[in-house]
Amino acid sequence: MRRSLIGRTWPNVIAVVLALFFLFPVYWMVSTAFKPDRDIISRTPVFLPLDGTLDHFDRAVHADQFWTMVGNSFTVTVCAVLASLAIATLASFAIARMKFRGRKAFVLIVMAAQMAPWEVMTISIYMITRDSGMLNSLVPLTIFYMMMVLPFTIWTLRGFIAAVPKELEESAMVDGCTRTQAFVRVVFPLLAPGLMSTSLFGFITAWNEYPLVLILNKQTGEGTAQTLPLWLTSFQSTFGNDWGATMAASTLFAVPVLIVFLFLQRKAVGGMTAGAVKG
Amino acid sequence: MKRQLIAAVGVAAMVVGLAACGSDAKKDDGASSGGAKDYNGKTLNAWFMDGSAPQAWQDGVKAEFEKQFPGAKLNIQIQKWDGIGQKVTTALSEGSVDVLEIGNTQTAGYAATGGLADLTGAKADLGGSDWAPNLNESAVLDGKQYAAPWYFTNRVVIYNKELWTKAGIAAPPKTLDEFYADLEKLKGTPGVNNALYLPGQEWYTYFGLVTDAGGKIAKQDGGKWVGNLSSPEAKAAFATYQKLQSYSNAPKDKDEATPQQSTLFPKGDIGAMIGLGWEAPAPKDMPADKVGFFPLPGKTADKPSSVFLGGSNLAVAEASKNQDLAKGFLKIALSDKFEGQLAASGLIPNKTSLNSQVTGDFAKAALPASANGAVTPNVASWANVENNPNPIKDFLAAALQGGDYDSLAKKYDDEIGKRLAQKQ
Amino acid sequence: MAVHSERVQTRSPKEAKTAGAATEPAAATADGTPKNARPAGGASLLSRSTPYLLILPATLATAALLGWPLVKTGLISFQNLNRRQLIQHLTEWNGFDNYTAQLSSSEFWHTAGRSVAFTLLNVFLIMAGGTLVGLLLNRLGKGMRLFLSFGLIMAWAMPIVASTTVYTWLFDQQYGVVNWFLDKLGWHGMADYNWFGSQLSTFFVIVLLIVWGSIPFVAFNMYAGLTTIPAELYEAARMDGAGAFKIFTAVVFPSLRPFFLATTFLEVIWVFKCFTQVYAMNFGGPQRLTETLPVYAFVEGFGNQHYGTGAAIAVLTIVMLGALMAYYFRIILKQEDEL
Repeated sequence: MRRSLIGRTWPNVIAVVLALFFLFPVYWMVSTAFKPDRDIISRTPVFLPLDGTLDHFDRAVHADQFWTMVGNSFTVTVCAVLASLAIATLASFAIARMKFRGRKAFVLIVMAAQMAPWEVMTISIYMITRDSGMLNSLVPLTIFYMMMVLPFTIWTLRGFIAAVPKELEESAMVDGCTRTQAFVRVVFPLLAPGLMSTSLFGFITAWNEYPLVLILNKQTGEGTAQTLPLWLTSFQSTFGNDWGATMAASTLFAVPVLIVFLFLQRKAVGGMTAGAVKG
Repeated sequence: MKRQLIAAVGVAAMVVGLAACGSDAKKDDGASSGGAKDYNGKTLNAWFMDGSAPQAWQDGVKAEFEKQFPGAKLNIQIQKWDGIGQKVTTALSEGSVDVLEIGNTQTAGYAATGGLADLTGAKADLGGSDWAPNLNESAVLDGKQYAAPWYFTNRVVIYNKELWTKAGIAAPPKTLDEFYADLEKLKGTPGVNNALYLPGQEWYTYFGLVTDAGGKIAKQDGGKWVGNLSSPEAKAAFATYQKLQSYSNAPKDKDEATPQQSTLFPKGDIGAMIGLGWEAPAPKDMPADKVGFFPLPGKTADKPSSVFLGGSNLAVAEASKNQDLAKGFLKIALSDKFEGQLAASGLIPNKTSLNSQVTGDFAKAALPASANGAVTPNVASWANVENNPNPIKDFLAAALQGGDYDSLAKKYDDEIGKRLAQKQ
Repeated sequence: MAVHSERVQTRSPKEAKTAGAATEPAAATADGTPKNARPAGGASLLSRSTPYLLILPATLATAALLGWPLVKTGLISFQNLNRRQLIQHLTEWNGFDNYTAQLSSSEFWHTAGRSVAFTLLNVFLIMAGGTLVGLLLNRLGKGMRLFLSFGLIMAWAMPIVASTTVYTWLFDQQYGVVNWFLDKLGWHGMADYNWFGSQLSTFFVIVLLIVWGSIPFVAFNMYAGLTTIPAELYEAARMDGAGAFKIFTAVVFPSLRPFFLATTFLEVIWVFKCFTQVYAMNFGGPQRLTETLPVYAFVEGFGNQHYGTGAAIAVLTIVMLGALMAYYFRIILKQEDEL
């Protein structure tokens, strides 16, 4: 079991290198956002933004319709996640606690739906949305984002519900609660962490979504129904070499997610093993 | 200065319009009190492209329209060129747009989709008998008028006078060789990052050069259209293009809109760029006396290089529920008064009789070259070629980055031919 | 999760056991019904339908929002649907034309081959990298593990559109920090290198971005799996004189075999249908050479406005994904009886 000094050191060295590899792009985004232009457009990169500036953020925030899109992104994301939580809580309770014919089929559908190829279904969703006259609206976005996160939400919540001992619920029922009451009073409070970590991943999926909104909501300008991913990509192509402002825009877009993620990650990682998700 | 002038003209026009309406309005009210009710709550959606219509023109047209059609609203939306094809298709299918600006190279394509209203009957009323025939060509398909010509324009060299003086250049070049020499001088001048800002995918300039060399980017071959990049003329034009591009640090695999070259020029380190009138810096970004214009020189001093004749038509959506309002709007927008305003902003109007109103330094440089202007083939399937990813742009980027011209030309000729042959 | 159930168990009353078998009916749903008033003769219609009522909203949503678009994709793929048909709301069936056109076009097969190679390369790098990082996490001290975890979480949490934008900046031709770094390392030819100018270099950046963003998921799961392997197993292996590599192949891999299989397939599916990174990086360029199948479907469908063709490509992509998924489900079904 004894290891040489080198044997004990090298994992740490590698760990530091790896940590830097994973952190660097995030750091570079944030630091570029604060650097004055002369440090960005410089042949020798400046690694520490010592004389930081908020100019880039100012430019990004004052870009066309920025606040509308912030509002859109939050509305769509929050509504989609809440709706999927509501629907998923019901379904996951059924598959975690009840035996019924067709249960296995339902579980399989949920698992398959989790891997649904949304990326190549844009054409049909576009046609469906157009035919119902809903282009350039937040409604279809919310509905489809809800569906995108629903399978994962069911799947993870199922794990959390299964982890609550059945006995607890049953004893509540012995004490005179109905099953609904038992669920609401006993199981539901214990699910709070599960609901939080599940909604975190729903939040990220909906916040990130790009191909669908790119197709459905083309309308720019006043009253646009576009969301922040579109704002960021169009910002980048218009201000192609204004990297300061582009990185400020990226930072503004990423920071809510990074914060939420850090805040919830302990619970989240536990939940992760139950189902599969990708940020 | 130019913009101030436009604004002033616009304001003046509005004042005149308002003064004139004192008497007119009464007549309208009396004559069409029933009609006025019809327009109540109606909104006419009009799409214009980014950089086309000056703000003063928009304001003037809007005021005039809402006066002539009391109760109706004009909702002007400005669209970006990027990804416009898909957007227009959607809007035409939904009827969410009533009147729209369509690029002259795209009009035939949209006419063939059945998405544009047939304006043949309204042509005379819109002043069509005076439209310059060569400008009207792109608005007609199979003998039917599917749009009204609105304006034409072409690219010129926009240059930074201060940097040119600094480089010791006295006068704008008259021939390409002089231009190369000037660019060489600019290249060695401190403070110049791009002697000429020319991104590699600026295919309009290449198109002009091909025309200048006596060639065509696509040709008709036994009744069907095929790509023609393999022709010696196109190859010669590419050599010129490549030479010009070599004075640029602009990316070889991007076009003039990513990033918008108009946002780069005012930074003051670009000696010259090839652009349209609206891309010239606004006075607030760069004093007007620092900005100069000249047509891209030709091989000899007697005439400037040929150019791509850009332009736009105004069309009415077939699915529009406000056909009458839309035609009424066209009549206002195309009236001599407002066409004249466009001319005053440096665009070439749809009637030769208004050409005398074309003013401004940009227009002075643009007009001589427009005489040698050319347009893309007026066939419905040409729009397919311009769909992203545009094969001409891809071709230019690949060839500029060291690809073999002949094999690339063959490959992209095939692609262009394929797109031109696509059925609707 | 373990934490919650622990707390729960301490409070869990004994009499819970008596409440009945697993098939315990959901009888008490009728409000206020005392427990001893349960109908003796099996579950009522209402209680038997309870699970179905509970899954009804999810089923309806899935059918309408996922099922219908899938069917619709199939329907469109049998139509000649271009600009004209779209604008005029025409339906022109053209049988298998779109499919025969694609299956006989070299462009489609090039793109499909490219997609497969792209997927294999990515998944190999992600799995190898993720496993090694997971093993490393297991070996590190607490402080260092936390530090590395922090880095992993940041990369994992970065929104894809943001990280794609950041990568284009890192690899910028003139002022990108990567070119500067390579130049400093002595590779001066890279000082002004245009990463997005050629197919392979563009793919390099895209693959790096995807691998960077995907390793954390695999690494954390790997680490979670490793902590479940009893220490005795390692001890025994070491007593037999096994080296690090041998321990991995003899102890770790067999214990985590299900994890490897499941994760590999998940990654295959994710990478194969990945769109945003590829499209937002360079729109499938240069010269359409980095288009993978989903991007190809998108460009043909929306860019060139051949919606029927795009849908046919989409269906072909879905079929390939479906084959992968079927294989994945077979593994899952074999492993997990308790689904």
